[in-house]
Amino acid sequence: MIIAFVILILLAAATCLYAYRKGDGSHKKGFRIAWNTFIHIAPLLLMAFILAGFMQVVIPPAFIKGWLGKQAGLQGIFIGSIGGALIPGGPYIAFPIIATVFEAGAGLGTAVACISGWALWGVITTMFELAIIGHRFTVLRLGLVLMFPPCAGVMANILF
Amino acid sequence: MKKTVIGMAGVTILLAAAGVVRQGKEIIIQALMAGGGMLLEVLPLLMAAFVLAGMVQVLISRDTINQWLGKDAGIKGIMLAGIAGALVPGGPYIFYPIAASFLLAGAEIGTVVTFVVAKNLWSLSRLPMEIALLGPRLTLVRFVVTLLFPLIAGIIANIWFHGYTEKVREQIRKIQKEGEET
Repeated sequence: MIIAFVILILLAAATCLYAYRKGDGSHKKGFRIAWNTFIHIAPLLLMAFILAGFMQVVIPPAFIKGWLGKQAGLQGIFIGSIGGALIPGGPYIAFPIIATVFEAGAGLGTAVACISGWALWGVITTMFELAIIGHRFTVLRLGLVLMFPPCAGVMANILF
Repeated sequence: MKKTVIGMAGVTILLAAAGVVRQGKEIIIQALMAGGGMLLEVLPLLMAAFVLAGMVQVLISRDTINQWLGKDAGIKGIMLAGIAGALVPGGPYIFYPIAASFLLAGAEIGTVVTFVVAKNLWSLSRLPMEIALLGPRLTLVRFVVTLLFPLIAGIIANIWFHGYTEKVREQIRKIQKEGEET
């Protein structure tokens, strides 16, 4: 988290400085765009974070673990993909859940499908996507990646 | 935009109701604290990401973006977008503003799809954690089987959904313009 913050601050500072040195008020325009976007998206972001909070509290990790731990084979791959998508939160939350599912006896393909489902179909990520970039992009992206998590699981089972 | 807020509010209320029935009233406070805590934690990151996205729109000319990420960039644009996606740190509230600014600056739909999917699947900043928590074997298998996905998604988008780019841009402009008016 702290590394991400340092990298982003450095990038933001460097682009600000560059815009300022152009001397044509570009930096002001950049700040105005940033502010307008932020103000407009703020209610959506707030809503998305509240929703994320509810998902974390209402869908307990133990429930997902118990549900996925016994899955294997093709059915496991599909259920793993969906289970992954439902895991609320970033890698700090998702990876420990998936690790315990894997240790509890889920197949390799199930675990791979689960990670891919979390990364590609993630419900929370999709909320932010809808809020910031709109449903046209979201629908297209989801359509394109629809088959990826199950495919990844099947490939993992066949190849490894 | 309004529909999205209403939709999210609806899902939240359903979840809250299910939670209250199963776990009691305390979960509402717990959930609000969890969500609020997350928001406070990422707020500085958010501000930096919005500033970066704003500056990208001002600084990088349409010609430059078009040359590197636009429709003439072809497969080179897709590869570049994939690398950018792998390198960008932070969560969805960080990379979606940046993806939106790329689109508005003239990037083609497929390159932006690759950027987002590469962030999802190739994220370098996530890698140490993935190895630490899931182990090297599972991480390696996962990387190998999903390696080509970001490129495939971007190429398909560019070939079949080229005409869709302007429609997506239109929607982003609307999202950002409403902010100016309110």
